[in-house]
Amino acid sequence: MRRVVAIVVVLVCLAAVIGFQGTREVNAAGDPRVFVPSPRFFERLAPSFRTTIADVYWLGAVQYYGEHVDGDRRLDSLPAMLDLVTTLSPHFIEPYLFSTFALVDAGEPQMAYDLLERGFKANPRDWRLPFQLGFMAYTYGPKETKAKAAAQWFAIAGKLPGSPPFVFRLAATLLAKGGEREKAALMWGQIYSQGDKYARAKAVAGLEAILPTEKQPREKALVPLYRTMPRSDFDALVADLVAGTTP
Amino acid sequence: MLMIADLHKEVRVGFRRRKVEILKGVDLEVFEGDVFGLLGPNGAGKTTTVKTVVGLMRPTSGTVDLGVAGRQQIGYLPENPYFYDYLSGREFLGLCGRLFGQSGGARRGHVEALLADVGLEGAGDLHLRKYSKGMLQRIGIAQALINDPQLVLLDEPMTGLDPVGRLEVKRIIDRLRERGRTVLFNSHILADVAELCTRIAIMADGRVRWQGRVADALAESPEGLDAFFMKVVQR
Amino acid sequence: MTRLYAVALNTFKETIRDRILGVIVVFALLMIVASLWLGSISLGQEARMMKDLGLVAVSLFGLVVAVFVGASLLHKEIEKRTVFVILSKPVGRAQFIFAKFLGLAVTLACVLAGMGLFLFLADWIVAGSPAPLLLAATALIYLQLLVIVAVTMALSTVTSTILASVLGITVFAAGQLSRSALSLTEFGQSAAMKGLAWVVYVVIPNLNAVDVKPAVVGESSPDWALIAAWAGYLGAYAVLALVLASWLFSRKEF
Repeated sequence: MRRVVAIVVVLVCLAAVIGFQGTREVNAAGDPRVFVPSPRFFERLAPSFRTTIADVYWLGAVQYYGEHVDGDRRLDSLPAMLDLVTTLSPHFIEPYLFSTFALVDAGEPQMAYDLLERGFKANPRDWRLPFQLGFMAYTYGPKETKAKAAAQWFAIAGKLPGSPPFVFRLAATLLAKGGEREKAALMWGQIYSQGDKYARAKAVAGLEAILPTEKQPREKALVPLYRTMPRSDFDALVADLVAGTTP
Repeated sequence: MLMIADLHKEVRVGFRRRKVEILKGVDLEVFEGDVFGLLGPNGAGKTTTVKTVVGLMRPTSGTVDLGVAGRQQIGYLPENPYFYDYLSGREFLGLCGRLFGQSGGARRGHVEALLADVGLEGAGDLHLRKYSKGMLQRIGIAQALINDPQLVLLDEPMTGLDPVGRLEVKRIIDRLRERGRTVLFNSHILADVAELCTRIAIMADGRVRWQGRVADALAESPEGLDAFFMKVVQR
Repeated sequence: MTRLYAVALNTFKETIRDRILGVIVVFALLMIVASLWLGSISLGQEARMMKDLGLVAVSLFGLVVAVFVGASLLHKEIEKRTVFVILSKPVGRAQFIFAKFLGLAVTLACVLAGMGLFLFLADWIVAGSPAPLLLAATALIYLQLLVIVAVTMALSTVTSTILASVLGITVFAAGQLSRSALSLTEFGQSAAMKGLAWVVYVVIPNLNAVDVKPAVVGESSPDWALIAAWAGYLGAYAVLALVLASWLFSRKEF
C-alpha cells in the first residue's frame, strides 16, 4: 500500500513539474523595464571584471532587443545597457555598430550618434565607426547640411586602414551633392590615383558629373587636381576625360 | 632510556575555556631493554603521557628526557590507528621511510624486511582500506619500526584484536625485546602485561601511583596482577 | 627535502584521487556547450565571449577546488588521525604545512592546466587563430589561487572546514575589491582610522592589481613589468600566509 502511495506521489509531482514547464510561453517577452546599474557602480565594485560584465550585458542587450523589437517594440532599457557595455569596455566595437540601428529602433537616434562619436574617440583607427557616423549624419541630419556632414565622416573613414575603396567614393559623391565641388573633385582625383580599374571608372564618371562642360572653366576646375595628383596619373585622367571613355 | 620528571599537562575545555589538569606530576623511568607496561583506568593520562613523549602534545611543565637522538630513534603506534587507506602497505611503509630521510634501495629493502617481520609480505600490494583490524595493527607496528628505533611506544597495540591477532603482536614485542629494543606500551589487558613486561607503572587520576618490576608487584599481590592493580588504583 | 617531497607527493596522490580532475571534464563540457550556443546570442562575438567568460569560468572552477580542498586538507589529517603518523616522525610542523601546500599546488596546477589548455584549443577553433595570452592569463589565475589556498589553509587551522571554505571565498571576493580598500584609506577622519584602513588594505590580498582580460580580448596591451611585479607580490603573500599557517599549526595539540 505504501509503495502504491509513493508511486502515485512521484507521478503527481512529475506531472506537476513537467506540466508547469511545458506550459511556459516560449516567446514570452520579459518586462521591457530592466534595472541596469550605472557603469560607475561596476567600475568601483568589480574593476577586474569590467570586460566580463560588459560581455554579460552585451549578451543581455542582444537578447533584450530580439525579445522586444518584434513584440511590444518597447526598448526602454536598451540605451542604458549599451551605455553600460561601451563604458565598461570602450574598445568593444560591435555594441557601437549595433546601436546604429538598435537605438534608432528605440527612438533614440541622437543617442546612437553620440555613442558612435564616443566610440570613435576611443577607437580612432577603426574605419567602421566614422563610416556609421556618416550614415547616421546622412539619414538623420538636417537636409541642408547632411550631405556635407556625411561626406566629412566618410572621408575620415576612407583614410583609415582596412576601409573598403567605396567609402572614399561615397565621400566624393556626397561632397558634390553638398555643393562642395572642388573638394569632391580633389577626392575623385585621389580615388583615381589610388584605385583599380573599377575605381578609376567611377572617378571619371564622378568628375564628369561635377566638372563644367565648357573648356576654360573645365580646365580651371582641373588645376587643383594637377597640383595634387602625380603627373602620370593626371595625364591619364585627362586622357580619359577627353576620350569620354572608361579606362 | 626515558626519564619523565614531574610532568604536568593542562588543557582548556569547553566554551568558557575551563582549565583541566590531565597530568598532575608524572614521574616515570624506563630503562634500556625494558618492556614497560603503562597501566591505568580510562582517563588516567596514559595516552597523554605517551603523546607528550612523542611530541604531539607540549607539557605545561616538567621534563621528558629521551636519552636517545630525538625523534629519529623513536617509533610510535597511535591508539586505534588510521592510515592513508588509498596507499598499499608497501607504499605506506615507503612514505614512512622517506619521512626518516631513507632513500632508494635501502628504503625498499627495509620495507620488504618489515613486511616479512610482521607477516604481511603477501599483502604488501593491497590497499590499506582492504586490511583487517589485525593487519592494520601489524602495519602500524611496522611503520613504528621503519627507522629501527631504540625506543618503541605502542598505544593500546592489542585493542580490538582477536586472539590470533594478539598473539602476533605479542610475538613482535618479544622479538623486539630479544633484539635489545626498549618497548613501552599501554594496555588494559593485564594478562598480556604480566606475560610480556619486565616493569610496569600504574597511573590513576593523572599521577603514577606505582612503578617497578612485575615480579615485585606479583610478590606484593600473589592473587595476581589484577588484584594488585585494583589495590593501587583504589588507594 | 626527502621529507618535504614525501608528504607533498602523498598529498598530491590524496587530492588527485578526490576526483578533482572531474572538474576539468565539467569545465570542458561547459566550454563546448558555450561555444555552440554563444555564436547565436552574441551577434558574432563568440571568440571574445569564449575568451572572457572562459577565463572567468577557469577562475571560479579553480576557486572551488582551491577553497574546498584547501580547507579540508589539514582537517582530514587531524580527524582521521593520520597526522599522528607524520608528526610523530622527525617532520617539523612548518615542513608539514609547506609540504601539504606543495602537494595541493601541484594538483591545482594539473586542474588549471587542463582547463587552460582546453579553453585555448576551444578558442582557437572558434576564433580561427591561437591566443597565447589565454595561457598567460590562466597562469596568473593559478598564482592568485595559490594565495587563496595558503590563506584557506591558515584559516582551517583555527576554524571548521565549512567556515574556512566560506572565509576563503570571502577573501577571494575581498581581494577583487583591493582597489576600493585603497581608496578607503583616503576617507578616514583621523590618523587612527586611516591607519586602520591602511592595515586592512595591506592584509587583504590584492587580486585585481592586473586584469589581463582586456589584453586577452584585444582591448589593450599587457604590462609585463607590472605583471611580473604582481606575480612576485602574490608569491610573497602566499609565503607569509603559509608562515602564519605554520605558526598556528605549531600551537595545536593532538
